[in-house]
Amino acid sequence: MPTRTQEALQEFWATKVAKVGVVFLVTLILISVFVLVFYPLNFGEELWNNPIVWADNPKAVGPSWTQAFSSQAQAEHLIFELPEPVESDFSQGFKRQLFQVSFLFEADDFPQFTSFTMRDVQFQEDPPFVTLILHRPDGEAIILLDVDIPYPEPEDSPPYVFYSEDPRRIYLSGSPAVRLAVATFARRQLNMEVLVSDIAAVGPEKFMFGVPSSQGGRATDVLKGEYTLSVLVEGVHADDAMGSARFVVAGQLFGLMGTDNLGRDLAVGLLFGFPVALFIGVVTSTLTAGVGGILGVISGYKGGKVDMVIQRTVDILNNVPLLPILIFLLFIVGSSLWNIVILLVVFGWTSLTIIVRSMVLQIRDGEFIQASVALGAGTRRIIFRHILPQVAPFILAQLIFFTPSAILAEAALSFLGLGDPSIPTWGQILDRGFSDGALYLGYWWWIIPPGILIVIAAVTFVLIALGFEPVINPRLRRRR
Amino acid sequence: MGLARSLLIKAISLFAVLMIVMGIIVVILGFSGYSDRLLNAIVTQQTNAFALSLPEGTLPEARAQMIADYETTLTEAYGLNVPWWGRLPSMVWRVLSLDLGEARTAQSYAGSKNINAIILERLPNTILLITSAIVISVIIGLFVGIKAATVPGSILDRVTSYFSAVSYAMPTWWIGIIFILVLAVMLRWFPTGLMYSAPPPEDPLMRFLDVLWHAALPIGALTLGLSGIYIYQTRTVVLNTAQEDFVSVARAKGLPENIVRRRYVLRVAAPPLLTNVILGLAGSISGAILTETVFRWPGMGLLYYNAIFTADEGIIVGLTFMFTLVYVVARFVLEVLYVALDPRVRY
Repeated sequence: MPTRTQEALQEFWATKVAKVGVVFLVTLILISVFVLVFYPLNFGEELWNNPIVWADNPKAVGPSWTQAFSSQAQAEHLIFELPEPVESDFSQGFKRQLFQVSFLFEADDFPQFTSFTMRDVQFQEDPPFVTLILHRPDGEAIILLDVDIPYPEPEDSPPYVFYSEDPRRIYLSGSPAVRLAVATFARRQLNMEVLVSDIAAVGPEKFMFGVPSSQGGRATDVLKGEYTLSVLVEGVHADDAMGSARFVVAGQLFGLMGTDNLGRDLAVGLLFGFPVALFIGVVTSTLTAGVGGILGVISGYKGGKVDMVIQRTVDILNNVPLLPILIFLLFIVGSSLWNIVILLVVFGWTSLTIIVRSMVLQIRDGEFIQASVALGAGTRRIIFRHILPQVAPFILAQLIFFTPSAILAEAALSFLGLGDPSIPTWGQILDRGFSDGALYLGYWWWIIPPGILIVIAAVTFVLIALGFEPVINPRLRRRR
Repeated sequence: MGLARSLLIKAISLFAVLMIVMGIIVVILGFSGYSDRLLNAIVTQQTNAFALSLPEGTLPEARAQMIADYETTLTEAYGLNVPWWGRLPSMVWRVLSLDLGEARTAQSYAGSKNINAIILERLPNTILLITSAIVISVIIGLFVGIKAATVPGSILDRVTSYFSAVSYAMPTWWIGIIFILVLAVMLRWFPTGLMYSAPPPEDPLMRFLDVLWHAALPIGALTLGLSGIYIYQTRTVVLNTAQEDFVSVARAKGLPENIVRRRYVLRVAAPPLLTNVILGLAGSISGAILTETVFRWPGMGLLYYNAIFTADEGIIVGLTFMFTLVYVVARFVLEVLYVALDPRVRY
C-alpha cells in the first residue's frame, strides 16, 4: 500500500524531532563511512593498542585549541624529521655527517619530554659515533648523548645495517646518560647545585631549556629563543652513515582532542567509535526486533503449548535484574563485540514479544482472518498477507527505539571494563580515563567528548523514534 | 475466593522465576568451570600456607604426607572431589536458607567476612541512594508530565519532549562523572565520592549532614537521568487517557476541568504510572551498579562489581539472589496494587 507508506512518511517528516534526528543520523553515517574507508579494520589491535605508535606523542595533554583560552603560552608539540645530513664529507680516512635542525621555543612551560629516533645506521667495521648536541639561545651547548651502537654479530658480514626495520628510539628524558650530561651542564655552566637525582625527579628539560630562576634554589625559568640540535655521525669508511633521524620536543598540547596517558590521539580513537557505535546499535536492535517480532507473531497466532513456552520464557527474562546478569554473563563468557550483541538480544526481545502477541491475538480474531481461513488460505499466507503488514510498523518503531538502548548498554558495559579490548569504543575510552584517574586529575578532554558522542548517537535514534510515534499512534498526531 | 487464588498463583510463578534465575546462575558458574577454578585456587592457596606453617625439622616424607592429607581434606571440604553439579543442590539450598557463607575478599566494616553481614550492611546504603532519587524523579515526572500533557504542543510540552529525549540518551553514570568533574574536582563544592568524610563526624546530626553532602551528587545524577523518563511516561499515559471517549463525555456533561482531570484522567492513568515507578524502583536497585561505581558509594552495586572482578563467588550468587528477590517482590507488590487501584482487574 504505497499511499499508506507515503502518508506515514509525511506524518513522520512533519515533526521537527524527526528532522533533527535524520540530520544527526546522516552525519553519523557519513563519519562512519569516512572512518571505514580510511581506517584499517584491525585498527584496535594494530594501532590503538600498540604503544609504539603513540610513543612520540605527549602524554595526557589537552587539545591544541585550548591555547586560545590560556594566558600562558603552552609548549607546542614539535616533531622534526631529519631526512638527510646538512653536511657530509669523507677526508683523511674520516667520514663525518652532520644532521641539524633549528627551532624557536617560545612557550612559558617546558616540553613534556624529548626523544630521538634514528634509522638505517650502516657501517663497514666499527660502529660510528653518533653525538647529540643541543645549542641554546644563550650560546651554550650541551653534549646530550653519545649513542651506543652495538657491534655486529660475528656471523654477519659487512656492510652492517642497523635500525632499518625497527628504528631505534631513545627517550632522552629517561636516559641516565642525558641526565648525567645535563646535571654536569647545570653545575658548570648554570652554576646550580643540581644532582643527577634531581634531574631524574623533574626531567632534564627543566635545565636543557632553562636558566636559573629568580626564586633561587633548583627552580628554573624557560629560556626562550632559537635552539639548534646537531647530530654528528663519525665513522672511518666512506659509506659509514646514518640514513635519517627524528627529534621530538613534546608539547603540553596536542591535536584536536588531546591525548590519553599513553599518548594516544583521542581524536583518532573517538572517530573510530562512530562506526562501532552504529554497528552495535543497529545490529542489536535489528536482531532484537526480529526475534521479538517473530516470537510474538508465533506466540499469538499458534497459541497452545508454543505460546505457553514463549510466555513463560518471557516471564523469566522479564523478572531478571538485567544489568547484574549481563555483567555476570559477560564476565564468564568473555567480552567480545558479538558476545555483547548476543547477550543484549537474548535479554532484550521480551517487551516486543508481549506487545506483538497481544496485537496478533486481536487481529487473529478479526472477521477478515476468519474469512481468509474459510476461503482456504494457509497459515503462511495469513501471517504474511494479513498479520505482518499490521504489526510491521510497530516492530519497526520498536527497532528504532531499541537502538539507543543498545548503544547505551554497550557503553555501560565497556565503562565497567567489559568492552571488547580489540575494538576501541567510546565507553572504553571513558573507562580507561576513569580508571586511570583522569577525572580526579581534571583531564576533561579525556572524559567529556566520549560521553557527548554516546549521548549524541543515542539521542539521534531517540529523536527518530519520537518522530515515529505519531505514525504508530494516531492519537498523538497534532491537529493541523 | 478467586482473587486470593490468582494472587497465590502469581506468587508461586514468581517464586519459580526466582528459582530458575538462581539455578541458571549456579549452573553457569559450575558449567563454565569458574566455580572449580575458584575453589582450586583457594585450596592451593591454603595448602601453600599450610606447608609454610609446618615446623622446620619435619622429615621430607612426613611433610609431603601431611601436605597431601591437608589438601585432600580441603578438597573434600570444598566439594571439589565431586563434579560441579554435585555441589549444586547444597549451594541452592544454602542460598535459599539465606546461609550465604563467607566472602573471599570483601569485608564488612567490622571486618566480618560473613556475606549476610556484608550485604545487609550495604543494602540500606543502596536503598538510601535509590529511593531518594526515585522519589524525587517521580514527583518531578508527575508534576511536569501532567502539566505538559494538559496542553499538548505547548512550549512546555515541546521543551519537556526534548529534555526527555536527551535525558533518556544520557547515561546516568556519565552525568555522575560530569558532576564529579565540575562540582567536585573543579569547584570543590562536593566530595568526589564515598559516603562519609574521613573520619566521619561523631555527632549524629553532623553525620547525617555529611552523608547528605556525599549523597548529593549521586542523587542529583540519578534524578537528572531518571526524571526525563518519568516525565515522558507520565505525559504519554495522561495524554492517551485524556483522549478517551469517556473523558470527552465527562467534559460534555459540563464537569469542571480539575474534576475531569482528577477523577477521570488521573484515576485511569494511575496503574500504568505506578507500574513504571515500581519497576523502575526494582530495576534501579540493581541498576545503580554504575552510579555506585562512579561515586564509590558503598552499596550493593559496587559490592557486586568488585565481587565479579575479584571472583568472589559467594557474593555474586548472594547478590544475584538479592537483586532477583527484590525484583520479584516488587512485581508481586505491583500485582496487589493493580487490584487495589483498578477495579476492572479481577482476573
